Amino acid sequence: MLELDSISCGYDAFRAVHGLSLILREGEITGLLGANGAGKSSTLMCVAGHVALQEGRILLNGEDISRLPVARRVHAGIAIAPEGRRLFKDLSVEDNLRIGGLIHPAADFRRDRDRVLDLFPRLAERLPLPAGNLSGGEQQMLAIARALMARPRLIMIDELSLGLMPKVIDLCYQALERLRSEGLAVLLVEQNTERALAVADHICVLESGRTVWTGSAAQARGDATLASAYLGLH
Amino acid sequence: MLLVELFTQGLVQGSIYALIALGLTLVYGLLRILHVAHAAFFTLGAYVGILVCNASGSLILGFAAAMAIAGCAGVITYRLAYQPLLDKPPFVALIASIGLYIASEEAFRVFFGAQGISFVDPPLQQQLLLFGTIRLKMAELLVMIGSLAIIFVLSRLQNGTRLGLACQATVSDPQMAESFGISLRLVRDLNFFVGSALAAFAGVWVALLNNLVEPTMGSVPSYKALAIIVLGGLGSVRGTLAAALVLGVVEAYGTIYLGKLLDRNAIAFAFLILVLMVRPQGLFSRR
Repeated sequence: MLELDSISCGYDAFRAVHGLSLILREGEITGLLGANGAGKSSTLMCVAGHVALQEGRILLNGEDISRLPVARRVHAGIAIAPEGRRLFKDLSVEDNLRIGGLIHPAADFRRDRDRVLDLFPRLAERLPLPAGNLSGGEQQMLAIARALMARPRLIMIDELSLGLMPKVIDLCYQALERLRSEGLAVLLVEQNTERALAVADHICVLESGRTVWTGSAAQARGDATLASAYLGLH
Repeated sequence: MLLVELFTQGLVQGSIYALIALGLTLVYGLLRILHVAHAAFFTLGAYVGILVCNASGSLILGFAAAMAIAGCAGVITYRLAYQPLLDKPPFVALIASIGLYIASEEAFRVFFGAQGISFVDPPLQQQLLLFGTIRLKMAELLVMIGSLAIIFVLSRLQNGTRLGLACQATVSDPQMAESFGISLRLVRDLNFFVGSALAAFAGVWVALLNNLVEPTMGSVPSYKALAIIVLGGLGSVRGTLAAALVLGVVEAYGTIYLGKLLDRNAIAFAFLILVLMVRPQGLFSRR
């Protein structure tokens, strides 16, 4: 559904990503891996429209959305749970969800909210609390839930497991698998390579903004050089 | 009874400060710009209010025209003066804002004359006796009620509507707000409209209380409102309201008890300096 056609992006003279090509399909999880500063977050923020696209095209169902204004991209079905989560901290959990679903009629709110709370039942008890008061794990759940409120067809999640306890990571990954089974396309940025390899369908590895490996997750798991050279696995 | 009367006078002055400072806080929260030119809309509102009221005989029409015209002027100012400067460092917009304010004073002088204008037949001047003890002009009572009402309605809109929620999200994280489909342009226009209309609302009340509007009437309130939003913890609406009322009351008592030493404005600024020396982060800052 979403195709990155040799995109380069960055800030002013600085280029964070060089000629990345990637195809994301409905019902598939694509893991974007690599060290810090490899350009993973820039790629996500470029698809969201916050980092300037310098070359290449972004195609959504064959339509070029490279120049689509940021605020229109969510209408096109793209939602993001960004690096650092970036919740609306002073607002309640419920209001964060409400903003996530702002592009849909107010009458749909309750139904959409109950749907995401079904995915993350822990948030149901936290609805009136300010988002800033949640634990790290709950904040990550809320960031994903907020994105889901937009009823996207592609969800981009940055650093899903960063700073979270293993139990919470399990919960989030279970949610991810459920979203995949419901037909969502997922673009996942992860530092936790083993987790990503275990769940993803496709893997793309970046190094200094360049694609150094791309293929199916099964191939990636079997590729010993890949594991040792780029992913720090033994 | 003097104490109670002074307190009431303080609240009257404080509610006017609150109305002016609120617009500044909105702009600061949204754009991180110190909007010095905000006081120009206070003066503009006062002129429009008097002129329309004198021409039509209706004070309500005067208020409506003042708020509508100042609101639109605020949006135009944002589009022409601030929007092109948003990606520059904040002091660039600050300098533009100071320039705008000075230019506005001169424009008022050119259009409406240097000597100021008054109501032909000033409304709401009857004296009231509240609770048998507090002497008050009708206009003074109404400015308090009106400010309370307008602030109450605004806070209900802010917390109870989707548009209000969109504004709060934009203040919190503009990029993310945009990513959830919120138009930053709409939110900014709306805030400039509301903030400038509130300043105009305050301007008409001051015109009523003093029965005089001059080109320079915005300058002292402008400095004071800047100090108030710092006192209120920059960007916090509740803090701003509280700081405005505190300043109004301190001024009222100070004028009586320190009046021989310092004039009204000197007392206000001495108080602000003292507080900021002790609490540079502001009285009500969260951090």
